[in-house]
Amino acid sequence: MIPLYGFLEGDTLGLLLLADETETVASLAAKLQQSSRLRVAPRDEVLVVHRGLILDPSRLVGESKLEPLERIDVIAVRPDPAGGAA
Amino acid sequence: MTGWLPSPECVYLGVGQPTRWGTIEVLERDDWLDLARKLDWDYSYVDERDVFPEAVSGSPHLPAEAWSSWDEPFRTSYVEYVTTQAAKEASVRAVRDVAGRLDDMRRLPPSWLNAVKLHAATLPLAEFAATIGNLRAARFGRDSAWRGTALLGALDELRHTQMPLRLMHDLVRLDPQFDFAHRFYHSNNWVAIAARHMFDELLLASDPIEFAIGTHFVFETGFTNLQFVGLSSSANAVGDRMFEKMLTSIQSDEARHAQIGGPVLERIVAADPAYAQRVVDKWFWRSSALFAVVTGFAMDYLTPVEHRTQSYKEFVEEWVLDQFDKSLARYGLARPRHWEAFVASLDHYHHQVYASAYTYRMSVWFDLVVPGPEDRAWLRRKYPGSWGDFEPVWGRIDEAWSRADIGNELAVHGTAIIGFCRLCQLVLCRGTPSRNEACTHVHEGQRFIFCSEACRDLFVAEPERYAGHRDVVGRVLAGEAPGNLAAMLREYFGLGAAIWGRDVHAGDYPFLDRPSPPRGGTP
Repeated sequence: MIPLYGFLEGDTLGLLLLADETETVASLAAKLQQSSRLRVAPRDEVLVVHRGLILDPSRLVGESKLEPLERIDVIAVRPDPAGGAA
Repeated sequence: MTGWLPSPECVYLGVGQPTRWGTIEVLERDDWLDLARKLDWDYSYVDERDVFPEAVSGSPHLPAEAWSSWDEPFRTSYVEYVTTQAAKEASVRAVRDVAGRLDDMRRLPPSWLNAVKLHAATLPLAEFAATIGNLRAARFGRDSAWRGTALLGALDELRHTQMPLRLMHDLVRLDPQFDFAHRFYHSNNWVAIAARHMFDELLLASDPIEFAIGTHFVFETGFTNLQFVGLSSSANAVGDRMFEKMLTSIQSDEARHAQIGGPVLERIVAADPAYAQRVVDKWFWRSSALFAVVTGFAMDYLTPVEHRTQSYKEFVEEWVLDQFDKSLARYGLARPRHWEAFVASLDHYHHQVYASAYTYRMSVWFDLVVPGPEDRAWLRRKYPGSWGDFEPVWGRIDEAWSRADIGNELAVHGTAIIGFCRLCQLVLCRGTPSRNEACTHVHEGQRFIFCSEACRDLFVAEPERYAGHRDVVGRVLAGEAPGNLAAMLREYFGLGAAIWGRDVHAGDYPFLDRPSPPRGGTP
């Protein structure tokens, strides 16, 4: 397990997340949304940001260079002015 | 009484006073006071540094002459002190007898009583720690008048320990949460860990110079008006005469001994302005965080909206920003580093912490309240640039209570472990809901998280002072504290079902859109 600090966009505080190296980045984001659901409505599409870079949601935590007690951010996917999502 | 009277050849000057021993001459009060306050020694067989070692007396270690003109405006003698304090004590007892009975307290708004519980816990034993800080200055302060004033300051702080403990003890019969007035600092409650982290350093570990600047100049002169003027006016507005009296009585002492700070700071600014600025920077930031939580909660949430006079932000702008800014300029100091971050935080920080604490209310010893429509309209008016960020959060909490049965606290409560700042030990709540300002720093291979750049900077400046202290998360990861929330509340935070925080109204709010019970069901 890798302890991380998770910050969900819209929430008022940072939470401790225990990430399993075999779970996906998407699962980690879902875990944070679940922990914060009392304060923030879960979103269908989110991005996980680590050191300023968006992580591939399908990658495993163990492959994502996440180090213990680092910060990750889970942010909403914003509508792309061109019509898609970014 | 015999034996203490000086011999006739002892030098007395001034007005003749007939006594049974004959006529003796005594000094006029002001002449005598200066003689007594400035009574000091020239050392013949030890050095000044032996009597006042720099490690204990503080840096910079100035020559004795630099301190010889030290003075403060109150110039109180011990006899005057005792006489005045006895009258204050009598006055507090009289108010307690008239307005401090359980029936009087039961008539107060329930949310207000929780503001009292919050203060009642954080105040008394911090004041006791300040007794020790003052006593250190009463021995190791570099001037005799400073030492004498610090001794009176120590007696003040002892009074500020005893008075709330005594007054709140009566209220334990009303509500067992008042027991935390004494138990708080003896617990590992997360707020107690944060408060101890600050007060241990400021009041117990600092030398008399840092204590005078950090405690007297920054904390007492800069911030305690928030408590003793702002909060006492809230107490007056809700009709809590006892709490109001306690606060104003304490403030009259604080106003006197806080005057130690200026004349110490003046000399340190002259000798080492960079150090003086650093001490001010540090204790300004640290004090501001504590007051945002303790006073911000009380002013903007726990005081019923119809009794609020000013918002926390307005009060800080009037009593801290303006006045402290002028004080700094008077001593030739710049605004504290991170002043802009502090000003910006007035719109968000205590709202972030309050919403977070509400959803983890079982982790504290007082009850919290959901702001209702009138509160939210007031908060929107007072915080037009930021309150909109918190509407969705409270909307979610409304929805959760609407789905839950009245009194089902666990249905509207967080369960994940919270992150804490490795400097201030408070929740990672700096910034805004859309951009939390937490940041990390690696020190000797270990990663630390901080709520803000300001806390990180303080850590980086003195890592040897802070790196060894474990926050709640560190204690969980090290196996010192349980990772399970229920076990943590009971076994580690010292809270049981009779004490842990709840919603003031058990979630029974008329503004919630709660589905009607089925016909024929239990209402």
